[in-house]
Amino acid sequence: MKRSTAAATALLLALAGCSGGDSGDDSGPVTLTLAGWSLATTPEFQTLADGFRAVNPDVTIELKEYDATNYDTQMIADLAAGKAPDIYVQKNLKNFYTYQNGKQLLDVSDVAGKLGSGVGGLSAYQVDGKTYAIPYRQDSWVLYYNKALFSEAGVAAPDGSWTWDDYATAAEDLTGKLKASGSKALGAYQHVWQSTAQGFALAQTAGADLTSGDFGYLKPYYERSLDLQNAGAQVKFGDATTNSLTYQAQFGKQQAAMMVMGTWYMATLRSQQEKGDADKFEWGIAPAPQLTEATTGKSATPVTFADPTGLGINPKIAEGEVEAAKQFLAYAAGADGAKALAGIGITPADSAAVTETFFQLSGVPTDELSKFTFATHDTKPENPVSKYTAPLQNILNDMHSAVLSGSKPVDAAIAEAQDRAKNEVLSK
Amino acid sequence: MTTTLAAGRRRGRPALRNIAVGWSFLLPNFAGFAILTLIPVVLLFYYAFTEWNVFGGSTWSGLANFRQMWDDTSFWTALRNTFYYTAFHIPLTLTVSLGLALLLNRKLRGVAFFRTVAFFPYITSIVAIAQIWNMLFSPSYGPVNQLLRAIGVANPPGWTTSADWSMPAVIVVGTWREMGYYMLLFLAGLQTIPAQLHEAAKVDGANAWQRFRAVTLPGLRPTTFFITVMLTIGSFKVFDLILVMTDGGPGQSTLVLSQYIYQKGFEENQFGYASALSIVLFAICFLVTIVQFLVNKSRDS
Repeated sequence: MKRSTAAATALLLALAGCSGGDSGDDSGPVTLTLAGWSLATTPEFQTLADGFRAVNPDVTIELKEYDATNYDTQMIADLAAGKAPDIYVQKNLKNFYTYQNGKQLLDVSDVAGKLGSGVGGLSAYQVDGKTYAIPYRQDSWVLYYNKALFSEAGVAAPDGSWTWDDYATAAEDLTGKLKASGSKALGAYQHVWQSTAQGFALAQTAGADLTSGDFGYLKPYYERSLDLQNAGAQVKFGDATTNSLTYQAQFGKQQAAMMVMGTWYMATLRSQQEKGDADKFEWGIAPAPQLTEATTGKSATPVTFADPTGLGINPKIAEGEVEAAKQFLAYAAGADGAKALAGIGITPADSAAVTETFFQLSGVPTDELSKFTFATHDTKPENPVSKYTAPLQNILNDMHSAVLSGSKPVDAAIAEAQDRAKNEVLSK
Repeated sequence: MTTTLAAGRRRGRPALRNIAVGWSFLLPNFAGFAILTLIPVVLLFYYAFTEWNVFGGSTWSGLANFRQMWDDTSFWTALRNTFYYTAFHIPLTLTVSLGLALLLNRKLRGVAFFRTVAFFPYITSIVAIAQIWNMLFSPSYGPVNQLLRAIGVANPPGWTTSADWSMPAVIVVGTWREMGYYMLLFLAGLQTIPAQLHEAAKVDGANAWQRFRAVTLPGLRPTTFFITVMLTIGSFKVFDLILVMTDGGPGQSTLVLSQYIYQKGFEENQFGYASALSIVLFAICFLVTIVQFLVNKSRDS
């Protein structure tokens, strides 16, 4: 009897000790866990962790690796099981609603309130006046072009004034002239993702709204793609999917003179050229082609798209660690974090503030147009946050493959997608 | 020591001891099955009547999921595609694997080599198979269409990039992949048919076709039944091949039920609805198998 009382007391003491250690206090050392993906090839997480450690030696940040393609599936499972890290990344906006509505994100409005106005993408994480994640990088889709192939063909390089019609004309022009000069390269490459058509259409068309269920705004973008495919100015969608073409090889190995892609590719292309995985040639970036002339030219702000990448806090974090986690979020989105990210070729959320740092990197084009493109853009979200976003994007992905493979005419495919959206998603 | 003594005392009830020993052998396996399969399956029947986004608890929604399914055109598309795949995949695989088994059941020089060749696709990684076949089927540069053009087909099909031809393409690859495995089962079945029966039939003047109809096929009945059941369940559940080869596309032309379940559950976090869809798939497999058993039984008697 006596022995069991003693044991119980010891147990209680141990428990009290444990919880005391858990709650911690601001002065003691704190260890936070942070989710990341493909750590070997994605240095940004380690860069942020090291940079934060340098200013806050008391806080250690441990990385937990996830699979890049199944990131959200794995994260959702871990959150449901209560095993997710303290801080986790919002890889894009498609699943933000799931996390926020599922009460898996802590309110971080106080962090947002202290951030500078240059941080792009913040509003995407705001629901009913509260902020649930802090963006640390904000990519934008731009036009990559191969300067060598343009001069070989004798076609005028992009100058920031292009509409999509100018882009299409240039692509056909390039294809013909490159062929005449004996090159196998095509004018353009459009990767197989739905965003290469739909992201631009949604961002650039006045009044376009994903959740309206009216997808007529997609039509001109698909017609242009189909025309370019049929003219032989870009690889056909079916050939790209069946042969699993990668955009890195298409542009990096000079198979195409132009390609629209996100700014994340700058870091990849630069390192692939250094390592020899890509050909060595001069390239540059230009603003994404525009729907109308109103947003072209250097006096205007080109409209493009991309989701911000943000950091959120797991509500299951120990109470004493919340303050440290918020400090980390503020660091990652702030000027110091931005500089550290720019130093490894990443586009931080506050990209205008680090243009100089970024263009000091070796292997990055330094012409005026590239700098303008990097710093100036009106970047709209690819996945506007709503309850309906994920299922609607899945419907539009079916439509994308049906149209570009030539299985269905544009009008019929849009009509079918609208019907499906109404019956399967918006009626709920 | 104690065990033997205890056993000696209870000599009157050896059956009980046998049961205990049997259970102890079964237990590890059964525990694994119960935790990883049985409990989730039982829970599935509950979740099918709820709305659940995986976080927190699920809310009871009665038959709402099944009503939603009734009006869901994508569900009907997936169901139609699943039957399309099954209707062609089962007879094709059955015929091809039986044909292969008959061919490779003779005393032929190098027969082991050919059997291995036929079995090879079955042990190859499905992702590699999908990649290679996709390249073979590639509309402009693929060898399949180059061959078709060479023999004078002016407009060869787009295979996996055409809504009309993607399902046939997937069925061809599915059949090619599985024929080796079922061939092996047929081979085993063929070897159980006594050679005397064939000889007797020969003496009676039966030709090869008659012998096949009267001796081989009846002798293979148990094997054929087993293979048909396995093939049916496998065809209704087809998932990995289609996911990596066409991802359900172009459009929804190769979307099948199990992939639709995956989409609703793991991509759109509607786990309640995905569970309801799983129940439908389960019911279909269950019903078809029962029918097959009944048909087999009535033929037996």
